[in-house]
Amino acid sequence: MQMSLTISYSSLVIDNLCDQAEGKDVAVMGVYCDFLAQEEQSTTNMLGAILKQLATRGGISDYIREAFQKAKKEFGGRGLLLPNIVDMLKKEITSLPRGYICFDALDESPPKHRRELLEAVQEIIRVSPNTRVFLTGRPHIYDEIVRYFSRAVRIPVCPTQADIKSYLEKRLSDDTDPNAMDKKLRADIMRIIPEKISQM
Amino acid sequence: MSSWHQQIIGNTNSFNLSSIVNFISEGDAEEHKILQWLSPLEPQKRHQGVRAGRVDGVGNWVLETREFRKWRGEEDGCVEPVLFCYGNPGVGKTHVR
Repeated sequence: MQMSLTISYSSLVIDNLCDQAEGKDVAVMGVYCDFLAQEEQSTTNMLGAILKQLATRGGISDYIREAFQKAKKEFGGRGLLLPNIVDMLKKEITSLPRGYICFDALDESPPKHRRELLEAVQEIIRVSPNTRVFLTGRPHIYDEIVRYFSRAVRIPVCPTQADIKSYLEKRLSDDTDPNAMDKKLRADIMRIIPEKISQM
Repeated sequence: MSSWHQQIIGNTNSFNLSSIVNFISEGDAEEHKILQWLSPLEPQKRHQGVRAGRVDGVGNWVLETREFRKWRGEEDGCVEPVLFCYGNPGVGKTHVR
């Protein structure tokens, strides 16, 4: 049996925020950065995705429609540039009592995109203090984050013993060949694996 | 309803959706074009995938931390708006023989 336990804290947080937001004027937006999609995940596209989620939720504003019509008439149907997206996002988000933006696995974005993204987020928070931003990533990108947000709060995350046990229980209950498992083996797995992992 | 949850409906009812597509009004088609123009990315799809692979209760302790609850909280101003959860994405592959 091979196991690998990866916990997506962003997905937990997004669902938690959505549950809390129900019935309130609160928007929850997010993007999952992906090492394999770096080309498609330009800063413009990532921030555009946040704007798209806002527009899907609250309706497309007139000025966005107008900008689209204008761009359509231009040579080849002009695409959006980063400053356009940042301006639109700032406009949309300031009208919200509370907006949450999540960026998952920031370290999977190339450094240039990360810089642009953090700069834009800094700008958005400056004009809209009601915005909260949730970031996840490997430890080393903290140095980059504090350059833009000197007081950013950090939580170290690592699967707990309880997490590992819940995961193992699920895996054992999903086992397609339950006859191969006896009580002793099961008890050994539940005891030894969490111990080993916590020593890693 | 948030767009995160609409996606679930979109997925589970995909058969129905595809049969409705023919009846989408011109206005809706325009809306779709504008949204695509804003960004071709669809993070909700990834979210549904990640969420489907989750084991109930695993990692939930983060939601109970003081830092998270304070960050999520209602009060304005004094709260630091940026929260960073850091770590390696998972525990390495473990083989059980």
